Amino acid sequence: MRTKQTIAIIGATGNMGAAISKSLSKGNYRLLLFTNDKNKLKNLEKEITTAHPGADVESINCSYTASWEADVIIVAAPFAAEKEIAEKIREVANQKIVISIANPLNETYDGLVTAPDTSAAEELQKLLPNSKVIKAFNTTFAADFAQPVIDGKKVDAFIAGNDSDALETVSELVQTAGFNPVVAGDLSVSRILENMQLLLIRMGIKYNYNWLAGWKILHQ
Amino acid sequence: MYELFFKKMAEKITLTSAQQDIIKQYLIPKKIRKNQYLLQEGDVAKHAAFVEKGALRAYSVDDRGTEHIIQFAFEGWTISDLYSFLTGEAATYNVDALEDSELVLISKAAQDEILKQIPEYEVYTRLQITGAYLAMQKRLTSILSLSLEERYINLTKLYPNLIQRVPQRMIASYMGLTPETLSRVRRKIKDK
Repeated sequence: MRTKQTIAIIGATGNMGAAISKSLSKGNYRLLLFTNDKNKLKNLEKEITTAHPGADVESINCSYTASWEADVIIVAAPFAAEKEIAEKIREVANQKIVISIANPLNETYDGLVTAPDTSAAEELQKLLPNSKVIKAFNTTFAADFAQPVIDGKKVDAFIAGNDSDALETVSELVQTAGFNPVVAGDLSVSRILENMQLLLIRMGIKYNYNWLAGWKILHQ
Repeated sequence: MYELFFKKMAEKITLTSAQQDIIKQYLIPKKIRKNQYLLQEGDVAKHAAFVEKGALRAYSVDDRGTEHIIQFAFEGWTISDLYSFLTGEAATYNVDALEDSELVLISKAAQDEILKQIPEYEVYTRLQITGAYLAMQKRLTSILSLSLEERYINLTKLYPNLIQRVPQRMIASYMGLTPETLSRVRRKIKDK
């Protein structure tokens, strides 16, 4: 696509938000960065424009305005913050792609707080019924964005959602970030994807992967 | 956010508030800043854009890099590459914002969905497409058979705020003239 798309990143200065923002600034996108901490935001913007002088990136002090301008909204915030964010952006996120990256982990990192018959992505979809919620970037650690090829293999990044156009758009984003996009299925598949990351986190803690680890399907 | 959109619709058809709510579910509110593209040539026009606030233009670029403006859109107008929007083929027009603008976008799929649910909307889209066709016929006839002075006067009637909001070179581009020829035309009208 030649037409530059605008992406709002809500929670841009968190570990994941910053990693996604830096990574997407390489692509043909206009990034609107939002977070409540203005100083952190300015620093991130500076860091991005220093690394990529041509990057089209701007800090913005309102999640509503950022989402109003956006074609794609990335909610780079913990599961617990989804409700508050959704309420703020609902009106201007109508019919837009909203990416859920959250893994609804419990405090001890050994389980999920969501019921088995739902997921963080599906809960976000309930909060934003007229938006196209897509699960993405939840099976990749923040460190992977700086190094999307691990042990010589391009890390798979799984995507789930119900709208085929939206899945295609998000696949392009994932590719820009340097990962191999794999469309896993409809939004309910997010339950599996969120559990996959729970497993990877647990294995990472157990075997000390130092947060640089990812999924790769080996096949013929 | 959708005030003008529904006001314009109410000029043509009567909708219940429940019907308006159904339509609202399918609309995309989109802010765009001056000089930003809504559509670039080569992409498929996925949306038709209704202008709540602001100004946009649609234009093509020839082999020599000269821009030819096809249409302006101010408050209450709809703009897109209609051919691309309806056929799904690559757009030959670019659409960009002349001012910071607030738009209501509607996708082809959303439009089809609304058409299924709200029969009155069929009448509205028919009137819109008829209107676009009539406007195009007028533009064509005007290019083929009117004097430059007549064309300029008609243009200022079609877009009352055009001169205040759009640079002369773009008006010239819309009329297929050089800026110098346009200023001669304007002088002639003034002298009359």
